[in-house]
Amino acid sequence: MILSLKTLRKYEIHSFRGRWLIQFFRVSAVLLIYSFQGGGPALAHIIPKENLHPVTEAYRRSVFVLNLNPIAWDVVHRDAKTIAGYRSSIGFGEKKALGENYDARAVFRELTRDVSAICLHHLSNAVALFEEPEQAIEEVKKAQAVWMAFSEFLQKTDPDGYFRLGQSWLGMANALGSRGLLGIGAVEADREGFNRAAKGVIDYLESNFGKNYEPPKNGKLAPFPVNSPTYKPKARFALRLPPGNNINKQIPRPRQILNMASRGVDESDTPLIAVGDMAFDSAFIYGEPMRSIGMSCNSCHNKSITNPNFFIPGLSQREGGMDVSNSFFAPHANNGHFDPIDIPDLRGIRFTAPYGRNGRFASLREFARNVIVNEFNGPEPEPVILDGLVAYMNEFDFLPNRYLEKDGRLANETTPEARLGEKLFNKPFSQMGGMSCASCHIPSANFVDHKRHDIGSIEGAGSTGKDGALDTPTLLGILWSPPYFHDGSQPTLRSVVNWFDQTYRLNLKTGEIENLTAYLETVGGGTDPYEDTPYYLDAEMEEFYFFISAYEFLAEKNLLNAIDITFQTIALEIRNHKWELQDLQYLPVMEKMADVMDEAHAANQSGNFEQVREKVAEYRALYAENKEVLK
Amino acid sequence: MSMSINMKIISVILAAILTGAAAFGEETKDQTLNIAFISYANPQQVAYDSEAILKYLEPRLGIPVKGFITLDYGSSIEAMRSDKADLAFVDPLAFMMAHEQIGAVPLLLEVYQNGPSYHASVWVRRDGSAAKLEDLKGKTIAYADQVDMSGHLLPRNVFNRAGLLRGNRPEGNFFKQVYFAGGDEQAIRAVLNGFVEAAGISQYAYLLLRPEERDLVMPIANSIESPSHLIMARKGLPEEVREKLKDALLALDWKKPEDKVILDKLYGVRGFSAASLSDFSEVAKIAARHGFVKNPDLFSE
Ligand code: HEC
Ligand code: HEC
Repeated sequence: MILSLKTLRKYEIHSFRGRWLIQFFRVSAVLLIYSFQGGGPALAHIIPKENLHPVTEAYRRSVFVLNLNPIAWDVVHRDAKTIAGYRSSIGFGEKKALGENYDARAVFRELTRDVSAICLHHLSNAVALFEEPEQAIEEVKKAQAVWMAFSEFLQKTDPDGYFRLGQSWLGMANALGSRGLLGIGAVEADREGFNRAAKGVIDYLESNFGKNYEPPKNGKLAPFPVNSPTYKPKARFALRLPPGNNINKQIPRPRQILNMASRGVDESDTPLIAVGDMAFDSAFIYGEPMRSIGMSCNSCHNKSITNPNFFIPGLSQREGGMDVSNSFFAPHANNGHFDPIDIPDLRGIRFTAPYGRNGRFASLREFARNVIVNEFNGPEPEPVILDGLVAYMNEFDFLPNRYLEKDGRLANETTPEARLGEKLFNKPFSQMGGMSCASCHIPSANFVDHKRHDIGSIEGAGSTGKDGALDTPTLLGILWSPPYFHDGSQPTLRSVVNWFDQTYRLNLKTGEIENLTAYLETVGGGTDPYEDTPYYLDAEMEEFYFFISAYEFLAEKNLLNAIDITFQTIALEIRNHKWELQDLQYLPVMEKMADVMDEAHAANQSGNFEQVREKVAEYRALYAENKEVLK
Repeated sequence: MSMSINMKIISVILAAILTGAAAFGEETKDQTLNIAFISYANPQQVAYDSEAILKYLEPRLGIPVKGFITLDYGSSIEAMRSDKADLAFVDPLAFMMAHEQIGAVPLLLEVYQNGPSYHASVWVRRDGSAAKLEDLKGKTIAYADQVDMSGHLLPRNVFNRAGLLRGNRPEGNFFKQVYFAGGDEQAIRAVLNGFVEAAGISQYAYLLLRPEERDLVMPIANSIESPSHLIMARKGLPEEVREKLKDALLALDWKKPEDKVILDKLYGVRGFSAASLSDFSEVAKIAARHGFVKNPDLFSE
């Protein structure tokens, strides 16, 4: 980029030593204090990973996880190890590993003391090494990178302290002077200024998170600077997802197939679907923290298709899954178990009732309400929102598959392997109580039977009294949504076949396993699952235009709240997506469109409906005029 | 001094990354074109990305083309001084200094969405108290680095031109305190977090923030336009090679998908445009004012 992006600080000019460079490759995260990986403007909806110091990352994640119920101890364990490893790498000596009896408070106390000690260690090194500016600055950088473990908590709970210390770090950078370029522009270092600035940070750390640090007796486990004179005990801080989370959408963009397109329905005749599409994309139908984080149905079911990358440390076990009854998103509905579930694909969802992996909901409507109210802490949704979500989800079609006939039998042009596999699929096995695969995955019924079965795929079911019955999932389109089973425990279709073979002692020959797998891959395939583009923006803008097509419908029924949600959702989404513009010169157009939505929202709230109509018209005109360039 | 050792170590590491070849820079001067790529943040990424342009150039020049990474302009210039680099990617200030000191020649300016130029801006928080330059009197400002065109000299000149700053001290009689934060990102974050009232850095610095943070800052004034970052050539690089290079690079068209792939990996430029010494006449005066350039007339029309 054209930026003088010297994430590398000035002192590194001339500090171009081999040792340092090698170090750079190994531990670049340590050196690049705040920088992000990759990412020009083009794919900006991909929120780049924060490039944190390993100690900072481990600490922040631990704080998040230690506040969950239940605590994902494996995550904490790994992070505690990272911190302990770093401690010993800087000469602090070994630390006892976490014992068997975990106590969240004690673990948090130790981690906080350690992180603070690491930061102090680098700072005092910097002071001692002042005469060697190259080394001193490395130490300052490490110290500051570790300091970031605490700083996000201090911003809200001690804003004055946060400000003072922010200036201290700047002061240290400044006081180290500059070597100039080719001998010109050198500025001498200022020892006194440096020590003064460093002392500010050292004192703060020692008094708040020193050797004898004790966490608060009750409430959240977080590093509160209770000994700072400017500490605000009542302050609340916004909840953030922990480092290592990934809620970015998949690339390339998956292809969504809506039934109305093939029916040839004009979108303007489908306001309810538009409302549902909007709600599916909205953070405003939920409660906190979902709303602040800005997640929606699309975060997990991107336009109905499973987001395979979705991951939140402590809540997910694998990518593409999450424990949906957890204490973070909805404490009131937390079941106290860590039971992450693989996100199901919603293509063809209208054909696959009942809903939920265990089929506990008979209708999509009940399921959607459950998601909003129970899983994500939202208010009781208005009927029109639920009607809309159902209408929208009823549009989700399976991928077309030219290898399948209408009745689910293989078409003629399939491979011999798949055809042999089809025979096996339909063959009754005495080991499965005389059933065939097709008894449950009925080919003529979209490969479901609308029933629940205990096939033994839930670990610990039965013996622990857990219900082991699950709704038969469809096999259509599954090639594109690994891993398999409710918990994502089977990585490939072949491993599913192996699982059945072993669990039911089917004694399949290698060739038969191949054939059955080929059959599943054929049934589970489908044409063009992805669009031929990594870009989302043009499709998003078209969709927002569709959202607003519901305005007249909602206004006629005086559904002011749904109108509010529509405007807010569009404004937020435009702001989230605007950085995806391939040509940033059109940024002002998108900003204008978002502003128009804000104004429409304000007018709607104050009851100025004439103005609302004007703003909606203005938005539509802006889109019509700029449609071609907003991509 | 230790330059040669440095270069060797870099070479070994980067040769491994770039080509997988064992020896790099070993007496290949006559036959090989050596390009110094600057890495601002992630050298591995730059090394990886630069393969595309090397592959593009080689058949068009008819000689082997190799690349290596430096982490600062000083190293690129030193490499050129000792004939180890034939081309280097530099900012306008480093170029002017290299021209004056080792006779480096301007070859091509990088083109971005605004053409082959850019400017610095004075950034503030959108919800802050400063709406115009005068409001910053008695306040603090962060620049990126002492030796930086858009991260120091250009934004400082904004205050000079407005008649708010005089004399040699960066604070003048205007600022309470000036910080050199160590980089564009540190400076823009210092504004975002409220540690300073303003930052004087590149017009593109907001792109270093996370998307959701970008709207929290805004520019309140812009500097004069400076020529973009550029590719400069070693003084002794034969005219014929220079011309072939120009032709090859000027032919890259952002609108063609196959070219876009190459350009996107090359610092995300949209293309190139021919550079001449006189493009630098205005910024040379600013650089001279701070002693970085001794003879600004070298760059006059
Ligand atoms: C954090 C990720 C996440 C979000 C957000 C999310 N879901 Fe889901 N969804 C899941 C998971 C995991 C399951 C499986 C849960 C289960 O079986 O109880 C699921 C299951 C479903 C099912 C049942 C699928 C089937 O085949 O039985 C439907 C329908 C559904 N979600 C709709 C929605 C709607 C509508 C929204 C937004 C209002 C939404 N989801 C938001 C993760 C998510
Ligand atoms: C008794 C009913 C029943 C029979 C018989 C049956 N299945 Fe299933 N199948 C299920 C259920 C229930 C699941 C869900 C298991 C889970 O999520 O843990 C499932 C899951 C699957 C999946 C994974 C789908 C996904 O998206 O995760 C595949 C593939 C599959 N079955 C193939 C087969 C094959 C091949 C056979 C024959 C060897 C077979 N099934 C026999 C009920 C059945």
